[in-house]
Amino acid sequence: MKRLTWLVLLATAPFLLGGCAAMSVAPVAAIAVKGVTQAHEAARPISPSEEYYIGRAVAARILSRYKLYNNPELTTYVNEVGDVVARKSTRPNPFRGYHFAVLDTREINAFACPGGIIFVTLGLIHTCKNEDQLAAVLAHEVGHVAHKDGIHSISQARWTKVFTAMGKEAVTLYGGTTAASLVSLFEGSIDDVFQTVVVNGYSRQAEYAADAAAVQEMSRAGYDPTALVVILTRMEAMGKGKKGGIFKTHPATAERLARAKALACQAPPSKGETIRAKRFEEIVG
Amino acid sequence: MNREKRLKKSVRYVLALGLALVLFMPGSAWCEVLKVVQPHQSLYPDPDFASTPVASVPVGAEVNVDTQAGDWYKVKYQGKVGWINLQAFQQPQAQPKFNLGNLLFGKPVKETSSDEVALAGKGFTPEVENAYRAKHPELHFAQVDRIETFTVPPARLRAFIKEGDLKP
Repeated sequence: MKRLTWLVLLATAPFLLGGCAAMSVAPVAAIAVKGVTQAHEAARPISPSEEYYIGRAVAARILSRYKLYNNPELTTYVNEVGDVVARKSTRPNPFRGYHFAVLDTREINAFACPGGIIFVTLGLIHTCKNEDQLAAVLAHEVGHVAHKDGIHSISQARWTKVFTAMGKEAVTLYGGTTAASLVSLFEGSIDDVFQTVVVNGYSRQAEYAADAAAVQEMSRAGYDPTALVVILTRMEAMGKGKKGGIFKTHPATAERLARAKALACQAPPSKGETIRAKRFEEIVG
Repeated sequence: MNREKRLKKSVRYVLALGLALVLFMPGSAWCEVLKVVQPHQSLYPDPDFASTPVASVPVGAEVNVDTQAGDWYKVKYQGKVGWINLQAFQQPQAQPKFNLGNLLFGKPVKETSSDEVALAGKGFTPEVENAYRAKHPELHFAQVDRIETFTVPPARLRAFIKEGDLKP
């Protein structure tokens, strides 16, 4: 008799554990999704949406320093080239997608905001001599977004405080100052990222990794990855004696060039460069 | 004796029913419909962002889920079978009801509300951005909103790829 009781319990376990409501398919799926989400939140320091909001604020700060270039034809072209390489990256779908914009300055520079907004200056576009070189610049910046290099520049101490402020216990402890402290931490995080992306630049290792990502994205997309070596060589020559802007944030050192060359040489040959160079010429001039 | 027989018979029914439910319960393999709530989602041939997407899946699209592997769902959409990432189904966070401005600009908060607990638990949110914007009116968030409208329609991108002899 006891054995029978156990068998009954075993057979009805799904009902007892899941409850009758869980037997309808959709709620179970929702629970599964929620479960996975919670597991991720526990494991990662920043969510894609948080990265997105930090990126928007960094972009807003960049736009307070540089003017947006208002040329729909060029903007669309840059977005087309950018999308072609971004969809071949290891992170083709950030929270709200990639968006590329042109800054109206002769300064030669490019900035990757966390979350997927990428700026390239008019000066850098004109430094490129064809579409493949522009693709190399954009692919490199996509690499920084994919590797979350901007986000990694937020100081560990600040993140620890964010976690503290996010805890329920902290709310009980700090009361009404919790929300204000979150905004202050948000502001500090933006300062950290802005300082790295616009002023000081990434680490050499981050630059090497972004170059490697660019070569991979370009090969997968059908662009010629040696265009990265060409544009880096040109920038190295232009940057001699200069210490500001992209020459500080993305220095084209001899070692960086050698690494990029080694990677690019292994890639298969690309086709259609003439057609692409022609359309670049038509739009960029 | 008869009573015990009837009991055994009932148990068999319960066992059979339980087994059937276990077999048809959603788990690592199930068949259900999930709605895509995030934009810019694609169907991939493998559970890997690096693979070439087989189709775009717009917001509001309903996909039939077959199996799940980590963050990826194997689904069927418009006759195509592929993988879609978990992020496609995650709902945007709900807006808190309390006035964050009051919290930021000195108005006293006498006690911790459940809304505030909810906000703190979410970290950096649209409300935090709004408060940051209020503190920094000199920043050009309207232009950032405009930049986010810079998108290339899939058909145009396909034509661009084809014209440039690039890989789809």
